[in-house]
Amino acid sequence: MDAIRTEHLTKKYHLGWRKGKLLALDKLSLCVREGEVYGLLGPNGSGKSTTLKLVLDLIAPTEGSAWIFDVPCSKVVSRLHVGFLPENPYFYRYLTGAETLGFYGKLCGMSGARLKKRIEELLDLVGLNRARDRRLSGYSKGMLQRIGLAQALIHDPKLLLLDEPTAGVDPIGSKDIRDLILRLKGMGKTVLLSSHLLAQVQDVCDRIGVLNLGQMILEGDVKTLISDQRRLTITVQDLPDAARARVEEAVRAAGASVLSVEHPRTTLELLFLDALKKDERGMGHHD
Amino acid sequence: MTETAVATTPVSRERVGFSLHRVGVIAVNTLTEAVRQKVFNFFLIIGLVFIGSASFFAQFSFGEQLKFIKDTCLGVISVISTLIAIVGTAQLLPSEVENRTIYTILAKPVRRFEFLLGKFFGSLFLLVLSITAMCILFGAVLWIKEQGMIRELSQTYLGQTPAAQKDVEQQIQQVRTEALDADLVKAVLSDLAKATLVASITLLVSTFSTSLVFNVVVPFMVFVAGMLRGSAAEMWGGHTVLMELLAVVPDFGLFSIADEINLGNVVPWAHISGIVMYGLARTVIIVIAAHLIFSRREI
Repeated sequence: MDAIRTEHLTKKYHLGWRKGKLLALDKLSLCVREGEVYGLLGPNGSGKSTTLKLVLDLIAPTEGSAWIFDVPCSKVVSRLHVGFLPENPYFYRYLTGAETLGFYGKLCGMSGARLKKRIEELLDLVGLNRARDRRLSGYSKGMLQRIGLAQALIHDPKLLLLDEPTAGVDPIGSKDIRDLILRLKGMGKTVLLSSHLLAQVQDVCDRIGVLNLGQMILEGDVKTLISDQRRLTITVQDLPDAARARVEEAVRAAGASVLSVEHPRTTLELLFLDALKKDERGMGHHD
Repeated sequence: MTETAVATTPVSRERVGFSLHRVGVIAVNTLTEAVRQKVFNFFLIIGLVFIGSASFFAQFSFGEQLKFIKDTCLGVISVISTLIAIVGTAQLLPSEVENRTIYTILAKPVRRFEFLLGKFFGSLFLLVLSITAMCILFGAVLWIKEQGMIRELSQTYLGQTPAAQKDVEQQIQQVRTEALDADLVKAVLSDLAKATLVASITLLVSTFSTSLVFNVVVPFMVFVAGMLRGSAAEMWGGHTVLMELLAVVPDFGLFSIADEINLGNVVPWAHISGIVMYGLARTVIIVIAAHLIFSRREI
């Protein structure tokens, strides 16, 4: 069963009198398989958020249809197993972190000890236990993003729709969210992720789709799309210069070319996280 | 983030019918929001200050003091409840859309009608709460005044002739009757029905407008037009188009029974029931219209 399926999904927005219509999404046929992490990529205005809104029935399609677990998106029951984190989420600023999760849990039919236990689990999961009784008006952007993730997970949904989940989050928080997505995938959850951060998408997604001006211009398995079958990288350690020369000679003798020989670099993110790990005061958030 | 395992709490229900529970959850949240906001507190405090100080301004003859207090307090309750109905409801939907909190709610298995009804009931809870608070203070002010007047009359009782004492007893009885006037409940009920209707009109306007100013001004104008409906009918009796336009506006003049009660005229319960039913029927129609618009609205 597909977690999400769309057929010729089209959305035109009315721009007002004498201004015509804007084609935000053009006959999108998309399929997100159950259990995979799917990355929806594209520049601003490409139709990513419109797609998510159509799937959640927040807006009506001009043409085409969409289904969640084979249930038409126009039906409320289609959202029974869906968790959604909007881009730059704002929540009720007068509620505390725990009250916020309680509110969303009750909306999902949860109550009593079960809800209380779930709130504790999620506050612990997103690292907001110490800020549980603080009103959201005192939360940082990263903390709001984390409480947003927690509310999306409150009813343990099978499908998660995350719109720019790491927007405004520092590298530590960003890595935490990435790790969480991978853990959710390990638990068999399906994730549809919309993001601008290509490196992050590459790390967590099984498949990606690239939208531009409302149309899908590229789609496929991430590993297949980014691998170059004609080139090969062999990483060795402590290779003497003489041995290196013999390796290069052997490569040429086999009819291949040596395109580059360089010392591998770490990523700035790994360097940053390593530096924080080595800091004796520990690594963490000022919650 | 810590290493706690992701919980696997199953959601047992596979059918999503209309749920009064979800309506209640949204209503309570709406009430909490309103109570923790300064605008509502501002109006309520203004109302309470006016009611609380009513007895200090009652510089009238002995018999008119209670009448003045009742007049002032009922007027304040009427004005403040109308203001809270408009201001408290006008920002409910626009703020949800502007802050995108509506996305997180409607992304859950929540019907739009449940959301709309929850917001409206939250607004009504707020009205009931504020009217109750004002009524409690109103009752306290009346009781304090009544006790003061009785004490004052009692002091003149001793040393009087039997005929004069009987007269004082009659005056004390009159003070008690005026202070504990059950008809005041009728006036408050009428105010609540009026404020509910005003809130529903504001809700209707806010389903298609995102401007807070528009959402406040339009219901206020409808309310004023409804108050003047009776006079306008006399003025424009010949203009059919104007009269048909006016017929759409609820007749808010019907709810003004405080003067009658304060003049000592009997307002029968049947009349109050009629007024409340009139308000409720129109409220239901307007909320259904609001639902029809909101269910098609793109968010």
